[in-house]
Parts: sequence; C-alpha cells; structure tokens
Amino acid sequence: MKGRTKVAIYNVKSEVTGAVWKIVATVGQKLEPGDTVMIVESMKMEIPVIAEDGGTVKEVLVAEGNPVTEGQPVAALET
Amino acid sequence: MSAGHTQQPPSDTDWSAEVAELEARRAHAEGLGGADAVARHHAQGRLTIRERIAGLVDADSFQEVGKLTGEGRYGVDGLASVMPAPYVMGVARIDGRPVAVGGEDFTVRGGTSWSGDRRKGGQGGFIEDLAGQYRIPLVNLIDGAGGSVTSIRRRGHAVFPGVHGFERSVELLGTVPVVSAVMGAAAGGPAGRAILSHWTVMIEATAQVFAAGPPVVQRSLGQSITKEELGGAHLAVDTAGTIDNVARDERECFAMIRRFLGYLPQNVWELPPRREADDPVERREEELLRIVPRDRRKPYDMRRLMRLVFDRDSLFELQPTFGKAVITALARMNGHVVGVVANNPMIYGGAMDVKAARKQTHFIDLCDCFHIPLVFLVDVPGFMVGRDAEAAATLREGMRSVYVALQASVPMYTVVIRKCYGMAGMGTTDKNGLDFKIAWPSAEWGSLPIEGGVAAAFRRDIQGAADAKAREAELEAELRALASPFRTAEAFGVEDIIDPRDTRAYLCRFIDAAQGKLRTTLGPKAKYGVRP
Repeated sequence: MKGRTKVAIYNVKSEVTGAVWKIVATVGQKLEPGDTVMIVESMKMEIPVIAEDGGTVKEVLVAEGNPVTEGQPVAALET
Repeated sequence: MSAGHTQQPPSDTDWSAEVAELEARRAHAEGLGGADAVARHHAQGRLTIRERIAGLVDADSFQEVGKLTGEGRYGVDGLASVMPAPYVMGVARIDGRPVAVGGEDFTVRGGTSWSGDRRKGGQGGFIEDLAGQYRIPLVNLIDGAGGSVTSIRRRGHAVFPGVHGFERSVELLGTVPVVSAVMGAAAGGPAGRAILSHWTVMIEATAQVFAAGPPVVQRSLGQSITKEELGGAHLAVDTAGTIDNVARDERECFAMIRRFLGYLPQNVWELPPRREADDPVERREEELLRIVPRDRRKPYDMRRLMRLVFDRDSLFELQPTFGKAVITALARMNGHVVGVVANNPMIYGGAMDVKAARKQTHFIDLCDCFHIPLVFLVDVPGFMVGRDAEAAATLREGMRSVYVALQASVPMYTVVIRKCYGMAGMGTTDKNGLDFKIAWPSAEWGSLPIEGGVAAAFRRDIQGAADAKAREAELEAELRALASPFRTAEAFGVEDIIDPRDTRAYLCRFIDAAQGKLRTTLGPKAKYGVRP
C-alpha cells in the first residue's frame, strides 16, 4: 500500500483495467506528489494514473494503446 | 512466594493474610506468561495485552474482571505460582463512555483457548455477556490461534464445533457496536470471531488473519506459503476485504478504534453522539462550482468533494483500499453523525463491481442498525460490465446492495453529482422513505446511458440513414437535450436541483430535521426476507 514503506524506487500502478490512452510524463521528468503520469481509458472514462509520492520518472513500462490490468505497474519513479 | 493463609494464624477479624494472597495472585496475573515470554513478544515489536488495553482506553479507567483465573501451582507452603489464563478483560471507558474490552494474552501458550468453568472472552465469554447485558460496545483485541488439539487429551474427548458457539457474537451484531482488532496471527475461532464485528482493523506486518494458517495449507493443498502472503494486510484488507482497515502500528490502531466508536451510539436503543459543531452550516465552498469537469469522460476527486461538504476533519473512511469504486465513510454534518456512500469516478467511472457492492451492502447495514442517516453522493454509470464482472456475480452482489438499501429505514439523502443510471442508481435512493433526491446541474440519469442506448434502441433508424454516424449523433443530441435535469425537476421527478455550493447547508437542514424521526424510531431492527 502507498505510503506504508519508504523506498528509493517505487512503481506507479494503474488502479483500473483499461488501455493506455496518453502518456503524460517523460523519462527524467521530476513529478510532484499528485502529478499525472499517464491517462488510462476505462469504462469510457479518462482515468489519470497519479504519482502519489512524486519523484523522478526512471522508466515508463507501457506504451500508448497497451492494455493494462488493475494493479499493473506502469512506471517506475525514484524518490 | 509464600502467601498461603495457613502460615499466619488469623485473629478473629483480620483478613489481611487473605488480602495479601490476593495481591500475590494479582501480581502473577500482572506477570503474564513470564518475563522471558514478554521479552520475546516485545522483541517482535508487539505490545502485551495489558499494554494494549492501557493504550486503548481512558487513563485509569480499566476495571479488570477475572484477574485470578489461571492454573495455580501449589507447594507444601501453599500457593507457589499461577500461570494466568491467556485472556485479559474488563470494563473501561473510551472518551468517557463505558466499553467492554478484552483480548488474548499471546505470552501464555500463544493465546490459545483456556477452559475454566466459564469462558472469559472470545465467542460466548463473559466479555460478550457484559457487552450484551449492559448494552455497551465490545472491543476485541485478538491475538490467538484458537483451539489446540491438546484439548482433546485434556478432556478425553473431542469437542463438537459450536460448544463455545457464535450465538452471542451474532446477537451482539444487532444490539451494540462490536470492534475487532487483529493484533497478531489469528486463525480458527479468533479469526472467525473477528469477522463477526461491525468494524475490523489489523496491524500492518505483525498481524495476519486466515481460516487456517500455513501448516494446514501445506498439508491440505501442498501449497507452501508464508503467513503474510496468506493473511497479511495486503491480502486480507486490500484484496479480500476480510478486514476493513489497516493500522501502521498498534498505537495507530488504538486511535482508529477510538475514532470509530466516536461515531457510534452505545447501543441500538440510543442515538449516535452529537458533537458540538464548529463548522458553520452555511459554509459555502466556491470550488464545488468547478469540481466536476464538463467533459463527461474526465473524472474528479470525490474525496476532495466530500471534504468540502461535510464537517471539517469529520470523515473516517471504512475499507479505503477495498472495492474502491465506492467510498464509504462515517462523517458529521452540523455535528450529527452521518454515513456517506460516494461513487468514485476514478475507479471504473464509479461502476459498481462485486467488491464495491459488498462494501456498500455492509456499510448500509451498519448505518441502518445504528440509526445513522445516509448521504449518497451519486456518480454511478451502473453495474460493472464484462465477462469478469459477470463471472464474479456482480449482478447478484449488486442487487443485494439494492435490496439492503430498500430494506433500510434510516433517512437517506440522494445527491446526484453526475451520473445516476440503472439498478446501481436505484440502490442510492430512499424508495421506502421520503425518496428525497437532489441534483447538481451536472447530473444526468436514466435507465441506461444515452450513448450505447441510442445505438441499440434506434438500430434500424440509424442503419437506414444515408450517414449512419451522423444520424446516431443527431439522435443522441436530441435525447440528451430531453435528459436535462431541469426537465425532470419540472415534473418533480427529482425534488430539487441545487447550486453545488449550497449542498452543505441544504443537507444540514434536512439532517437536523430528521433527528425527531431518528429519536422516535430507536431500537433493534428486525430484518425479514431472503437476501438475493
């Protein structure tokens, strides 16, 4: 669960099953807590995937159009 | 230690020798399972049952019952020592209000059950009788593995399941608040006891809960699995919803228990305690006018919306990590306790899946039982769709939550924020009560959403058109204009449309007005019928 443990690198996960609609953040970008990493389309809604703790984007693990499942890591961030 | 009263010949009226023995016996009880066992327990980052009770209840309010229970060992000089019964309990106060509290002592035989003439705690113990007879809340601090096969040898026979049954535990669920905190590894009876509660919490990393632990799983299924994988918070709280909330440590757990009980009455014959409100009823948040995006595909932060409406800092979320398509929280409005059921558009657009439905059902049951009015903040496109959702029985679990809402008799307030569609939408209304529904201007409703619905209902019309896509869009636009909430309000099909900034004041006035009904309809609620 978010915020339970402090680690240097953490995965941002999609909370819903759907398809990656738009990747907003780029590798190397510094995100503030609450910033949007990407947008997943699910149930006709554009669901933002949020970097809860912020950090620098180390890797984006999916591409636009990719299907994602609930709980799937979609990006790695370094705090 | 020599405290036997055979030692000093007593005078005619002097009982001090017996009192000295009493003190000695109490000292054994204070020692729990002995210094070594306590040290091992502490080394694992866990508090003893006595420290737990002290950490939970108001200072100096604990009156222990049954402190002398245990297994006395006697020498030639009388009592040598007592190994206390592995359960500590009594009456105490939380925020000034009496509660029955008890828990297993893990330092004595791992908190396994103990057979005296009368049980102290767990199902059917004195602590349950106390809560039930005195109509006060019960807090179980669970840290035990239940029965042990060694009892067969001790008794000379196997005990039939239910000799120490759950009948009292079940009765309490209809009469007094029951909270269970899982403080260690709980299996069998104690795990089952935890579930028979209005609210459950467990400690991250040091607590696990399961029907049976890893050794039984290994033997039964050949699966090798750790106890954390099998019943840690990630599985039991986030995945299964077996336990409602997780606390980072024991101190946080006690604070959460105190918080939860602060919203509940002492029993179903009383109203929940009103707190003096310092948040003005007329507080009008400008942000509410702009919180819902005009683009229907874009979600928004429902939790933020809730914070803007309800009394400041009054929201206490139950099951925040399970069934996340719906948010269930206890809160206050002008000091009165209310239950909030809010769809979360961030999770599947707020569509009700099987977990959200189960969560909503339990929460409505909880609020109805304790006379807590419900506020629905509605943005639900319907039940979750798709093969997985059907395979999980979303329809059945969803209809169960509709059924429970229709049986509930507390006042309900339906505030349609955006979407209110279909059967899931129906489950947010007080059809058997005032059926009071107010809407924001962003609201839309129907038996099903227009898009998709148009393609199905006007298939021939659309297919016959020269430009099918254009025709579909035209029909959608026509129906959408008719679906304006103002038209339904003209027909009094919703009771009002409100400026979102007025939500708080509007609701507060009606929640205030409902107190008379709540006061005059107290008591247990008999439920009839067969839940789908």
